[in-house]
Amino acid sequence: MQRHRQVAAAPQRRASETWDAICELVVATLDRSPHIVASDVAAAMDAASTVGRVLVAGGHLDIHALVVVADPVYLNITTVSGIAATNLDEDLGPVPGGATSSEWTIHLPTPDPVGDAVRSAVSGVSHLSADEPPGESTSKSSMAEQAGVLNLAALAQRAQERE
Amino acid sequence: MSPTSTSVSTYTRTQTATYLTDVVMGAIADILSDLKIDVTVLYRDWKQDEAAIAAWIEEESLQQVVLECHQPNGTVAPIIEFPVAYTETGKGDATFTADRAALARYRAKLERVPSGTTYGLICTFRKARTPQPGWNPTTRASTDGLKSLKFGTLGSAPHAAVSMRYLH
Repeated sequence: MQRHRQVAAAPQRRASETWDAICELVVATLDRSPHIVASDVAAAMDAASTVGRVLVAGGHLDIHALVVVADPVYLNITTVSGIAATNLDEDLGPVPGGATSSEWTIHLPTPDPVGDAVRSAVSGVSHLSADEPPGESTSKSSMAEQAGVLNLAALAQRAQERE
Repeated sequence: MSPTSTSVSTYTRTQTATYLTDVVMGAIADILSDLKIDVTVLYRDWKQDEAAIAAWIEEESLQQVVLECHQPNGTVAPIIEFPVAYTETGKGDATFTADRAALARYRAKLERVPSGTTYGLICTFRKARTPQPGWNPTTRASTDGLKSLKFGTLGSAPHAAVSMRYLH
């Protein structure tokens, strides 16, 4: 399920504090699964913290989302900076749906000019990726939804045939 | 008489300091990345430097942050200055703005530096400051003979604004 959470950055939080808030959101979301160990998630986010702060401070996460793919969860996280951050209706509670997740990957964006630094930071770290996240439409949950749409179309066709 | 209401937003010096610190630190990280200068130390010391700069802006002691690029042959160039201008409470922009798009265009024009170039971060002050961990007295490199280009305002907030000057 596609979800989007916005995290208030400066002037509400410093870049390092904003990254910490993002970490807590990701850990809390994946911790709902009995198959995922929270400390593993925290360790992965910690490994990305150096570039994470830079992505926040440079305003890159305002535009390019960090994406958590843990089927059926597909979570886009962006930041909000400036005046909009001061009155953001923020929801940092865990995103629902993660109870059945088992595999998980955190995709970090690689905008210029810090893309190389991001790729270097995630290189060799389990569950971190600098690759484009897979399209949400390829996940199982979305395929199921799509199947539902097809069934509805078939039903509509049948109804027309009966008329 | 119809009822009326007003909404007054009040922003704090802490918010101004937080915002402008992000603008400066983000710009420095992007510039060093563009120049292919090793940013390991910047990333490692981020929280310490972020806290120091924010504290100095909040107490209005910070005059400017200076980024010096030290080339292997001893040349110190370019030097990029981030002067902070403080405004009387309520007199500055009642908003938070950063011209990151203009900075991205400007960065593309920066002269490249040789491989092995390192950097130094220096803060100068307009009045007595609170000591911060990891920051010690030092002297700036000479700017004699360097050409100066003004970028203009990089970011502004209710109590202060930060601009940028490029010396090369």
